[in-house]
Amino acid sequence: MTTTTDLTGWTGLQFFGRTTASVSHELKNALAIIKENAGLLNDYLLMAEKGIPLKPERLKIVADRIDQQTRRADTLIKHLNRFGHSIDEPLTTVDLNDVVSLLVALTQREVSMKQATLQLSMGESPMTVKTAPFWLLTFLGHCMTFSLKMLGPQKVLHLQVEKVADGTRIIFTPLSGLHGAHQGEFPGEAENALLQSLDAACHIDPDAAALLVNLSNR
Amino acid sequence: MAEKILLVDDETDFLEVMSERMSARGMEVTTAESALDALEQVEKGGFDAIVLDLMMPGMDGLETLKAIKRKRPELQVILLSGHATLEKGIEAMKLGAMDFVEKPADIDALTEKIHKARAEKMVLVEKQMETKLKNIINARGW
Repeated sequence: MTTTTDLTGWTGLQFFGRTTASVSHELKNALAIIKENAGLLNDYLLMAEKGIPLKPERLKIVADRIDQQTRRADTLIKHLNRFGHSIDEPLTTVDLNDVVSLLVALTQREVSMKQATLQLSMGESPMTVKTAPFWLLTFLGHCMTFSLKMLGPQKVLHLQVEKVADGTRIIFTPLSGLHGAHQGEFPGEAENALLQSLDAACHIDPDAAALLVNLSNR
Repeated sequence: MAEKILLVDDETDFLEVMSERMSARGMEVTTAESALDALEQVEKGGFDAIVLDLMMPGMDGLETLKAIKRKRPELQVILLSGHATLEKGIEAMKLGAMDFVEKPADIDALTEKIHKARAEKMVLVEKQMETKLKNIINARGW
């Protein structure tokens, strides 16, 4: 028999694995470009040894590419590091804007693979909330996957973070096809287990074409 | 005669540098940033080999491989992946890929595979011609 704790743990582990695999894939791409540009510099040197002069403007292009990809890799590692540290504290006060920004950074590849665009509207900073950061990221990651699946034909997902009377709210919109067959699909068993751990609520509003996540003031 | 290569990847920076390195090695390189672009290029014809990224937005590498093989079965496809598992490699081979290489690929090893791809393609094209000639001869009762 699977308990809620087992399910939450397993869901979190899956999200951790999926996210690190995605980020490491991006890192590999950045490293591949750096490697090939280093190889290109060697090619230029070999050509110079055979009497073909080096062109400074070509060297500048290669240097700029290496610099750009190194920065890209550094940013990816920074996000992965923040993600890794999100499990440090079981319950802590965070700025919800920071958590959602990290979610956006970690799911960039998932968004681009769906050929979608993400627009983020942050609330007034700091938007503090007492929560379990890793489990919140895991739940929001699931919301992201569902939202990308239900995205309208324009393929633009809007994420909004806002204060409400009794806490804070994150809205995923505009989603299509929320009536009918997809009713009851989300949140599923895994998401409900996470919501229980987070003391949060989630509902789908088909008329507003939105998925809403409410975090109460603890 | 230079090998004609189609290089397919959604990373523009990767395409630019690989294209330059392969051209410096005597290959004639065309690039495509998406599966749809690649299929349009394949339609125009004339390639000896295709170097294709496995993970791309929209249609992924394996779907693209299937579509290429449907249009031009003689074309040799080398798949590039950032995460080359045995499972994916086997699936790629079953779908007709010539080879499956993990990124970052060694340019000299990749060049060798491209030479091999061209030779394989020429053998296939010759076989196709032979079959066509036999069919014509049989049809006319010669």
